Amino acid sequence: MKPSSLICLLLIVPALAQAPEDWTTYGKNNAGWRFSELTSINTNNVPSLAPAWIRQFGSNGGNETTPLVVGGLMYLTGPSNTAWALDARTGQAIWSYKKASPAGLNLCCGQVNRGFALQGDKLFKVNIEGVLVALEAKSGVTLWETKIADYKKGYSATAAPLMVKNLVVTGIAGAEFGTRGFVEAYYADTGKRAWRFDTVAAEGDPGAASWGGDSWKRGGASTWITGTYDPELNLIYWGTGNPGPDMNGDVRPGDNLYTCSMVALDAETGKLKWHYQFTPHDLHDWDAISDPVLANLTVKGKPVKALIQANRNGFFYALDRTNGKFLHARAYTKVTWADSIGPDGKPVLIGGNEPSEEGTRTCPGLGGGHNWQAQAYSPQTGLLYFPSSQHCMLFYKTKQDYLDGQWYQASTVGENEHGVGSIIAIDPATGDTKWHFDMVSGTSAGMLATAGGLVFGSDGQGYLIAFNARTGKVLWKFQTGAPVAAPPISYAINGRQYVAVMSGQSLIAFAVPK
Amino acid sequence: MRFLISLCASAFLCAAQTPPPAATQASENGRVVFRIYCAPCHGIHAQGGRGPDLTRGTYAAGDTDADLHRTIVSGVTGTEMPGFPDFSQNIVGDLVAYIRSAAQREPPQIKGSFKDGEALFWAKGGCGACHKIGSKGGTLGPDLTRAGRQRSYAYLLESVVHPDADISPGFETITVVTRDGKKIVGVHRGYDNFNALLVDQAGKFYSFDKNEVTSAKQEYRSLMPGTYAKLFSPAELDDVLAYLMTLKGVQ
Ligand code: HEC
Ligand code: HEC
Repeated sequence: MKPSSLICLLLIVPALAQAPEDWTTYGKNNAGWRFSELTSINTNNVPSLAPAWIRQFGSNGGNETTPLVVGGLMYLTGPSNTAWALDARTGQAIWSYKKASPAGLNLCCGQVNRGFALQGDKLFKVNIEGVLVALEAKSGVTLWETKIADYKKGYSATAAPLMVKNLVVTGIAGAEFGTRGFVEAYYADTGKRAWRFDTVAAEGDPGAASWGGDSWKRGGASTWITGTYDPELNLIYWGTGNPGPDMNGDVRPGDNLYTCSMVALDAETGKLKWHYQFTPHDLHDWDAISDPVLANLTVKGKPVKALIQANRNGFFYALDRTNGKFLHARAYTKVTWADSIGPDGKPVLIGGNEPSEEGTRTCPGLGGGHNWQAQAYSPQTGLLYFPSSQHCMLFYKTKQDYLDGQWYQASTVGENEHGVGSIIAIDPATGDTKWHFDMVSGTSAGMLATAGGLVFGSDGQGYLIAFNARTGKVLWKFQTGAPVAAPPISYAINGRQYVAVMSGQSLIAFAVPK
Repeated sequence: MRFLISLCASAFLCAAQTPPPAATQASENGRVVFRIYCAPCHGIHAQGGRGPDLTRGTYAAGDTDADLHRTIVSGVTGTEMPGFPDFSQNIVGDLVAYIRSAAQREPPQIKGSFKDGEALFWAKGGCGACHKIGSKGGTLGPDLTRAGRQRSYAYLLESVVHPDADISPGFETITVVTRDGKKIVGVHRGYDNFNALLVDQAGKFYSFDKNEVTSAKQEYRSLMPGTYAKLFSPAELDDVLAYLMTLKGVQ
């Protein structure tokens, strides 16, 4: 497709659809599929895939970003409040953005950032200190900045925002610091707040009874991965994180709503339409933040609008996304804390998994069976792809007093076993594992599926790998030179398809040599 | 340097002379943070493990609060000790308070003679065939030049008596069977989903594509002989340990 016709296409398709050549939102589409319709890289020619260009940024810290591509330009964020626009054909930098982060940040996991949201001529990102920023796409100049949370209290911001019509929807991080999570929407043109949903049920909320005493005030439930959106139902779906303090549940008796949950919010008002809690009264830091993938499935012969997620607690779940009803769940990794998820959607618990002073062994470990690594869904194969860990840990608990803005986890984990990893393809309609690629360790990298019959993922040792999406056969691999902690994307320029991924401090774009 | 080494060795015996401060809020906070970030190497009670025992009350990196602050923030270059530059001053202060409060326990008694241990190491033990101290010795096992500074007493003892118990990272055993039936056993130089790299006992380096061999596996067992508990008398073992504890690096 020529650039001119690409622009036409952008103008005529509704704001929420997008050209196959582009990658304009965190999850590729609003359903979070990370499925590229491009086919010129496919099962036949992928063995000859090779780097077309490499851009080295020399920044410090982990790179977890999903680059966006539109109109031949690539927009990507880096750690520590940095961002760039590159020519997506050559990797040449067009502009760069840098904003110094304040001293005294309280961070669990480094100054990472997971990418931009884009609408028209504007880009949106969060800065680590809890500021939402709008940039002019063609220059990188700041259009507005809005403070969304106070870093001195332990908040930080890392997730790519989600565009829903004229709203920039954002989450927040900081559940290890006794903060209270939220999902907020801001008007794209002004940066003024449209609505806020508090993910910890406070007094007055029907969920408030699930918190003993005033423990909700430090309840956690951060929202550090981008949600998804169903325009027909006009609902936004967002996963929530662990309750605080993570490993000592004595101070927060009850189920602790809406932690470790999926919430469905009205896109107009942010009001809660339904919620489903994966891990009631979590004690193992099993956030439910992983991208909620929206797929229409046939479950037991009936069509259902589903929401699917490989949850950190070791179970894969399918929910009815119209009402939050539990459909089914299946363990995809070693699980010792629950026998199964009952027909009522509640875990059938196995006793003796409470963290203790001297340590309690539980599987999966703190990082879970699958954490935040982007999942991919292929409508071609009907399979969901995600990386997984098989890992058990010792969970310790201590008493810990809460101090404003300070680390509040009430203990920790220990390791005395060597975990392994795998990349898993699950049939979401049944929860059956269709194939798995076993690995020497887990990985932080996410997934990409393409209409070329391929799935891309990375292992924990720097290999970018292309699999046959149906069989899991390795068709191609490339050692990128550093562990990958980001998901790959795909785009095309003048008909040439690229697969791009951030590895270490470099962006590598692959193509089939001309 | 020699002088420094013996000073350190005797300091074990007279460490932790300062009176115990009460467990403060700061040290309790520090304990929580320590368990998360530091315990994997320094042990859940700071007693040491892969990282040195921090309860000895005296530190190679320096004994003042400022020394400990600097070590925590910047790490120790060229060692496994990472820096924690993202920690706030408060958190680092809490950690130092915790380390001070943990340094109240009796230090382990070093009973043996390090001079005799040195002789046993190079002669009867044959340890030098696989380990370097300074520029002398082999390379199959880890360099022990800083062992007394890097590791705890308990960890070193376990390493000598039960080599399989806690394999030093990067020194796992790799076994490859080639298509023509040859079996090659050696120490890890790289092992991932597609490749197996190793050095055999003779020091020869191999690089295999896993797809081109019959089998390749990595095991968490040691190529160090498991016979030293029998070979050495208890007194000799004490001597070898005393020697290892004096190894504080060459400068
Ligand atoms: C990956 C393992 C690892 C982790 C994690 C780690 N350390 Fe260390 N640490 C070491 C090693 C190894 C040394 C010895 C360095 C050397 O050879 O001088 C060390 C040295 C130190 C020293 C100096 C000891 C001395 O005698 O000089 C202090 C103090 C210390 N660490 C504190 C901490 C604290 C506090 C944390 C957590 C915030 C931490 N370490 C986390 C491995 C680790
Ligand atoms: C045949 C080779 C070989 C010999 C001989 C040998 N070692 Fe080792 N040693 C190893 C290997 C390989 C490792 C790493 C695997 C492990 O953790 O056991 C190791 C690990 C160690 C460690 C742990 C080091 C660390 O930093 O983690 C110590 C201490 C040690 N050896 C001491 C000794 C002593 C003392 C002797 C002699 C009494 C000795 N070794 C003899 C091969 C050898």
